[in-house]
Amino acid sequence: MNRAPRVLTLAGIGLACLSLAACSQSGTTAATGDYPTKPIELVVGYEAGGPTDIGARMLAQELEDKLDATITVVNKPAANSQVAYTTLTQAKPDGYTMAATTFPSAIMTVLDKSRGASYERDSFAPVALQVIDPTAVAVAPDSDIKTPKDLVEAAKAKPGKLRATTTGVASNEHFALASLKEVSGAELAPVHFADGSTAATTAFLGGNTDVLLTNVSDLQPLAESGKVRVIGVMDAERAESLPDVPTFKESGYDVEISSSRGYAFPKGTPDEVVDEMSTAIGEIMDDPAFQKKMTEAGLAPSYLDADDYSAYWDDTEKTFGDLFPLVKADS
Amino acid sequence: MESFTALLDGFASALTPQNLLFALIGCLLGTILGILPGIGSTAGMAILIPLTLTMDPASAIIMLAAIFYGGAYGGTITSVLLNIPGEGESAITCIDGYQMTLRGRAGAALATAGIGSFIGGTIATLALVVAAKPLSELGLRIGPPEFFSLVLIGLALLVGLVGRSVLKGVVSACLGLLIAMVGIDPVMGLPRFTFDQPHFFDGISYVPVLVGIFGLGELLATSGGAAPKPTAPTLRQLLPTRTDLRRAAPAIGRGASIGTVIGLIPGVSSAISSLLAYSTEKKVSRHRKELGSGAIEGVAAPETANNSHANAAFIPLFTLGIPASPSIAVLMGAFLQNGLTPGPQLFTEAPDLVWTVIASLFVGNLLLLVLNVPMVGLWTRILAIPYSVLRAVIFAFIVIGSYAVNNSVIDIYVMVFFGIVGFVFRQVHLPLAPLVLTLILGPFIESALRESLQISQGDFGIFVDRPLSLVFLLVALAVLAASVLSAGLKRKAGLPTDAEV
Repeated sequence: MNRAPRVLTLAGIGLACLSLAACSQSGTTAATGDYPTKPIELVVGYEAGGPTDIGARMLAQELEDKLDATITVVNKPAANSQVAYTTLTQAKPDGYTMAATTFPSAIMTVLDKSRGASYERDSFAPVALQVIDPTAVAVAPDSDIKTPKDLVEAAKAKPGKLRATTTGVASNEHFALASLKEVSGAELAPVHFADGSTAATTAFLGGNTDVLLTNVSDLQPLAESGKVRVIGVMDAERAESLPDVPTFKESGYDVEISSSRGYAFPKGTPDEVVDEMSTAIGEIMDDPAFQKKMTEAGLAPSYLDADDYSAYWDDTEKTFGDLFPLVKADS
Repeated sequence: MESFTALLDGFASALTPQNLLFALIGCLLGTILGILPGIGSTAGMAILIPLTLTMDPASAIIMLAAIFYGGAYGGTITSVLLNIPGEGESAITCIDGYQMTLRGRAGAALATAGIGSFIGGTIATLALVVAAKPLSELGLRIGPPEFFSLVLIGLALLVGLVGRSVLKGVVSACLGLLIAMVGIDPVMGLPRFTFDQPHFFDGISYVPVLVGIFGLGELLATSGGAAPKPTAPTLRQLLPTRTDLRRAAPAIGRGASIGTVIGLIPGVSSAISSLLAYSTEKKVSRHRKELGSGAIEGVAAPETANNSHANAAFIPLFTLGIPASPSIAVLMGAFLQNGLTPGPQLFTEAPDLVWTVIASLFVGNLLLLVLNVPMVGLWTRILAIPYSVLRAVIFAFIVIGSYAVNNSVIDIYVMVFFGIVGFVFRQVHLPLAPLVLTLILGPFIESALRESLQISQGDFGIFVDRPLSLVFLLVALAVLAASVLSAGLKRKAGLPTDAEV
């Protein structure tokens, strides 16, 4: 009976280590130079294992070598990142707290006054953009709808009858439907699957909706297996993974909606720190091996530096801001 | 037959020492992650993925898959021994499992859960080999309206869970629903009952609630000294008796079928499988009256169901390329990072790998059994720790677990608040099962109802127009009618009814 308690103690120690590791993976690497001199916390507003988290962890791993610092990924998965953004914007602007910022969440939580966000656009100091994942439209393989034009015509013939999936109120898909309606007059009925793209995809494959809207990266495996026909991508250019699929723009409908993932510091972070981080991310993203890793994980690499990401943020806020009354009105 | 030979080849490579080792590591890690409340197997897998990139793809996927279903077993250990549900899926096991522990039958409960998990997992994997394609089509037929009607069966079964007082049962069920209503409205996008706390926008996480109600509630109740404390079983009590096994067998069978079917539906949590399995036992088991006071069926059915659910969830992944649960989504990430796109084309593109992974599911379930049944003796030694010391350890454990769910202190407050609620429930003898059921089913009912009405553009007819949905509705109605009738008959005969107000 002597053995059992010892094994138990060991198991207990193992558990304690594991829980510590899961709560915070802190380290001790010291760095030379002014920045960084201590571990950097990277706040991710989604669960461990989601696409935002996977991208952030990949980058964090490389950044550790590049900056010779420890980067701790902390998941705060609640309220479509609002909790994470609140944490970030209330943190000390010293370059040791960074957050993964995603669109539309970083913009939508500000626009939607009912959410009572304690931050605004200017509370963020954008660092770099990592991923742009355009929204795309798919239908059943045997559908009569083959092009964006067919979709608009079908929707116009039966206004508000064609059902399209979204991943929730004010999601990128919801903005996409609003934008399409504004540009072409085609009115589709949104079905909101607040649980995310799995629920939406399942319902679509089961024949419960007519149109599937989701990110290009989610559509790729379905398109490959022939379960869906992708009719159009809502981006300036065709998607690399779907070269035969036209953009909505090519068909004459100026709809450009994406979800995107980048990084930001709180406002007031010194410019040198922002630049150093932005440059480091740029160098990592320049590496073809890293690009390959991202692409394999279904993340389309699209680097923008701090200034360009700021400009992109302002543009996107304008687009979503103009569409927002439509999204809230028909919800 | 072609798939049979392919499966044999799969076994050959799953049984290489290297792959066997990784399956073993995965099972152990999963079990440990499952034991710790708050840190699920999903987070564990996500954190380990970067490490697996340097491994051989088959070994990496085998290890991650083993973590996933090992986690489904790990939660049972704390539920049974300490009344702390590690995950939502083992919450309902607390009710009868912990009662068994109080009677010194913890060993039998854990061993039965291990056997049930093995059988459930194996049956679901067999279904994957034999009939993956038709089954995945069945999963897709269950859209929002069908799912709504299916969950209504669960609610109708609730009447069986209510226990001796209908009023108390309804109070408990309504409280669960009320907690489930917190969060952002899924269709209007407006916050409900969130106290202006963004933390509550996604609803109150149910792990802190359950850990509070079961774990802390029990700690508070036993502090008074009046409530019974768990005792370590003697050596002879470790293994289930023949009566146990005879009684558990039908419950395991029903649990396995429920878990396999529900697991086919993408996006449905395995907590639902274990809840439905438990409620079904409460209705159809020969010993249904004993459920709630330490019946073996109350452990066997839900534990079997959640493991067969976990294994059945691979079917939509392999046939449709849809990740059926957050854990499976992480696993799908591992496939993608190894340059493989899950879906039907995987069987032609990388048949060796697919069949190796499928064979490893069988091997892994067997490993879980041979690991865990002998370990039962070890786990139950936890109860030999003096209760005054154990109590402090449990408290630390549930605080860490609640924090770990979202890395948020608010969840600790939530846990403490519901600990007090749990204490009050015990003092006034309110049943816990209805609350667990409505708490977990609530958000699913709501989203299924509202998605259905958006699909039908406001027409409630959608629930009766769809044949499968209609069948589910009729079953729900029959369950309800049977409960009311049997209560009425008993009253007429002057017998004491199950449901007295």
